[in-house]
Amino acid sequence: MSEIAIQTKALGKRYGSFWALENCSIDVPVGSVSALVGPNGAGKSTLLKLLVGLSSPSAGESDVLGKVPAQREEFLSDIGYLAQEIPLYGNLDARDHIAMGQHLNKRWDEKFIIDRLQELGIPLDRVVGKLSGGQRAQVALALALAKKPKLLLLDEPVAALDPLARHDFLSSLAQAVADGGLTVVMSSHLLADLERVSDHVIVLAAGQTQLCDDIETVLKEHKLLVGPKEHAQNLGDGVDVIHETHTPKQSTLLVRLGKGTKLPAHWQQHEPNIEEIILAYMGQAKEMNIGGTR
Amino acid sequence: MNWFVWRQHRKQFLILGLLLVAFAALVIPTGLSFWHTYQQALTACAQNPATPSCSDLPGNLFQSSLDQILFRLVPVSVLILPVILGMFWGAPLLAKEYSEGTNSLIWTQSVSRRKWLTIKLAWILVATVVFAGAFAALSTWWSNTPNALYLDRFNGIHFGSQDIVPVAESLFAVALGIMVGAWFRKTMLAVGVALGLSIALVLVVVPNFVRPNYMTPNTVTSPMGPGAIDAKIPSGSNLLLTRNIVDKNGKTFDRFNSANLPPQCQQLIEDQQVSNNGHSVQVMPGKIGTGSIDACLNDAGYHQIAKYQPASRYWDFQDIEAGLYLVLSALAITATYGFVLKRDA
Repeated sequence: MSEIAIQTKALGKRYGSFWALENCSIDVPVGSVSALVGPNGAGKSTLLKLLVGLSSPSAGESDVLGKVPAQREEFLSDIGYLAQEIPLYGNLDARDHIAMGQHLNKRWDEKFIIDRLQELGIPLDRVVGKLSGGQRAQVALALALAKKPKLLLLDEPVAALDPLARHDFLSSLAQAVADGGLTVVMSSHLLADLERVSDHVIVLAAGQTQLCDDIETVLKEHKLLVGPKEHAQNLGDGVDVIHETHTPKQSTLLVRLGKGTKLPAHWQQHEPNIEEIILAYMGQAKEMNIGGTR
Repeated sequence: MNWFVWRQHRKQFLILGLLLVAFAALVIPTGLSFWHTYQQALTACAQNPATPSCSDLPGNLFQSSLDQILFRLVPVSVLILPVILGMFWGAPLLAKEYSEGTNSLIWTQSVSRRKWLTIKLAWILVATVVFAGAFAALSTWWSNTPNALYLDRFNGIHFGSQDIVPVAESLFAVALGIMVGAWFRKTMLAVGVALGLSIALVLVVVPNFVRPNYMTPNTVTSPMGPGAIDAKIPSGSNLLLTRNIVDKNGKTFDRFNSANLPPQCQQLIEDQQVSNNGHSVQVMPGKIGTGSIDACLNDAGYHQIAKYQPASRYWDFQDIEAGLYLVLSALAITATYGFVLKRDA
């Protein structure tokens, strides 16, 4: 078992009477790049804010790099965080932001960030309010990386970017990961993008963890089964149906197989891709949710 | 951290610095010139006491409209300084970080939220005291002439624009603005609420309803008659609170309702009105219609009563009011810490 960067147990966050995140338990190994996916309002931002100590949990606990998240220097110095709205001081230029990082962090790689922004052709002396959305995202990512964090938490960093800027941003991220020693958790709606950079997936839906595993295992354990409808109720032990669709004669099931489970013979097996699996989990949560509210 | 706070706020320090220079450029030459003119008039009157203007210097000196405007402009500028600072410095300080989301950028650098807040607050509050102190010092020095001439430094716009009160008011207005910003987290909303609250508290409630009550006022009474009550109040820069006419039971006479007067006096007032071609006669404390009406009211047991805070209490009142604002500022800052540290980003 590899080392754990993030572990949460039954983590929950309540706003008034509404649980934005409930019973969330995840394990993120050191060095992994995790895709945090889920529909709007699934609690992705809430989870990331809890992990970086910007908000405090209503239930459960979390361990991030061996510490309880808090607004303390020794915790924050190992974490890079990029909020959804990509906040920067609009009336300051990139150089001011770099100086801010220099003054506010003990560990700071000034050469890295200046080289990087120059490489990307981002003017250091223009106020960031006048940069393009893609350039701002790059400045914000570079600021987070210049801290030399052990863990990088990104909240939908590419949501507002055009395809080219998105591509550049993900390349920058992939390069930083390739440089080593970095664990990344990144939320996004764009499943295809996540697939490109991540090796681990966390599916949040309806405020709960639906899936948290490395992508290889997920792919190995999930099968798409096609077979006669009358057998759909009788699959045997160790087979979890995640999602099912039926036509009058035939059923299509997305199932998770426990270790060593053998399937009944009269089912056709297919290998689903990660996108299909994620969508199946989100769909399952949606149905549960509808069932619950009725 | 210090560098960054300076970088973020240096523009607003510069703007207020320029305003201070402009204020000094207005106040220093006019203050010197007013003082010179006043001293010359005093010297001249000492040599020739019979000169007609010497009996009423306030009514004869500085009568040009420009001078009269200055006598209001200077104290009013310092009077509204707290409101301006609360609005432009206090309210946006945290509200802007929240509404632009930059709090989550700054709070995920390697500085604790508490340390960040403490350094930011220290800069702004110290700068407030320094700048408000400079404005107040200029205004206090400039006011030497009107203080001596009009004996009004204990009153309204003058009390709040001299010595330590404007500094304490500024500190409070800024602390209040910061607290409001930390609560609402929206810049424009915080600015609006801070503006409304600081006007209400600093310019209306405290001067009019709180200040008169710091100490039990002195009370004097006199019979009816023009100037009779004023003669009982020692001359000086007093804070006059009330001047009323009371009947023999001590009940305050409402000067707009002459129907409450004894019938024989009421008749005198109506007669007087007829001889005045219908113009009304006001029964007012200090100056009343005619001798016969005064005599009638005296016979009926009416008299005048005045309450005032004597000039000797000026510094006690400055200290008490400054202390009050200091306590309120401390409360606002404590609440700000609570809002920022206890609530989620």
